[in-house]
Amino acid sequence: MKKSILIPILAIILCAGLLFGVTMLTFPMYLENYHGWHLKDLKMMLPGAEEFTVEPYSGEDANIVSVHKADIGYVIETKTYGYAGDITVLVGVSTEGKVTGVVVRDLSETLGLGANALSDTDFLAQFLNKTGSFAIGAPGADAFSGATGEAATGEETYVDGITGATVTSKAIARCVSSAVGYVTGADVSSGATSWGG
Amino acid sequence: MKKYMLNTLLAVVFTIALLVLVIARAICPVLVFPGFGIPNLVLISLIALVVDHYIVKDAPRCYICIPVFAFLSFALLPYAAGFAALSDALWLGVKGCITFTVTTWLFTSMADRISTGPSAKLAPVVSAVGLYLASQCLMGMF
Repeated sequence: MKKSILIPILAIILCAGLLFGVTMLTFPMYLENYHGWHLKDLKMMLPGAEEFTVEPYSGEDANIVSVHKADIGYVIETKTYGYAGDITVLVGVSTEGKVTGVVVRDLSETLGLGANALSDTDFLAQFLNKTGSFAIGAPGADAFSGATGEAATGEETYVDGITGATVTSKAIARCVSSAVGYVTGADVSSGATSWGG
Repeated sequence: MKKYMLNTLLAVVFTIALLVLVIARAICPVLVFPGFGIPNLVLISLIALVVDHYIVKDAPRCYICIPVFAFLSFALLPYAAGFAALSDALWLGVKGCITFTVTTWLFTSMADRISTGPSAKLAPVVSAVGLYLASQCLMGMF
């Protein structure tokens, strides 16, 4: 075996070692910054809230990842499958069940189409101060229910989807519907129903 | 040694990209990072290929070693940087290995044919840009 074949192997091992070392070195800084940014995110989602406690969720809604409880409502981290991968959405919901904030935290959708959900404030703002299950489209048209992904029944709150990104829009509507359902009691396995809705 | 330079460069280029992401993640954890999709894997591959083309003229290719080392690079490095769990890293390794091998074959074929004449100096970069745009168009079709 030629010795030169060892060069790329050594390079890969050295590079992996370097990356591991830098990752370990920066990890405390990452944790510190993560908690700071996370608290800032939570406060932004639920204006007026100061302290949050993590509430364990063992319900049946697969979209709900974690629940952060405050005295005036909840911030719920949800995750569902979009067009090209998982979409993580933070949703603030007041104790009355009204949406107080929506932010897309992570996605891997198509650039220029679904990825616009990150910054499309016109789309995200449609959820604010509304409650219930959300559907993409217009009443009477071919609207999609956010809760089920099927045709809307007419009882949903309608929002306009992002142009060219219906699947992504439906996924975000599903996330917001799950979060509102947790607080209002539409999610029967929710722990919030006794006082939330 | 020239034969294996490409895979060594791939490891170095990918490590530099991951280092930038590791540092950015530490400073601002809420940033949404670019995923390891096909266009981004093609971009990493093309940077390594262009650098290789300028450093080693007419390097021989070993199409058995290229996918094997590419698999190691694309699986091990994101795993070491904490960007992928083990199963994701293995899948990324498979994706990266196929992407890198196909990109290498296409780039080498193009570079072989246009590396003459006065415009030869920029030919690798132009070929790489063309291939990157083609990969984005290809992914946009699915």
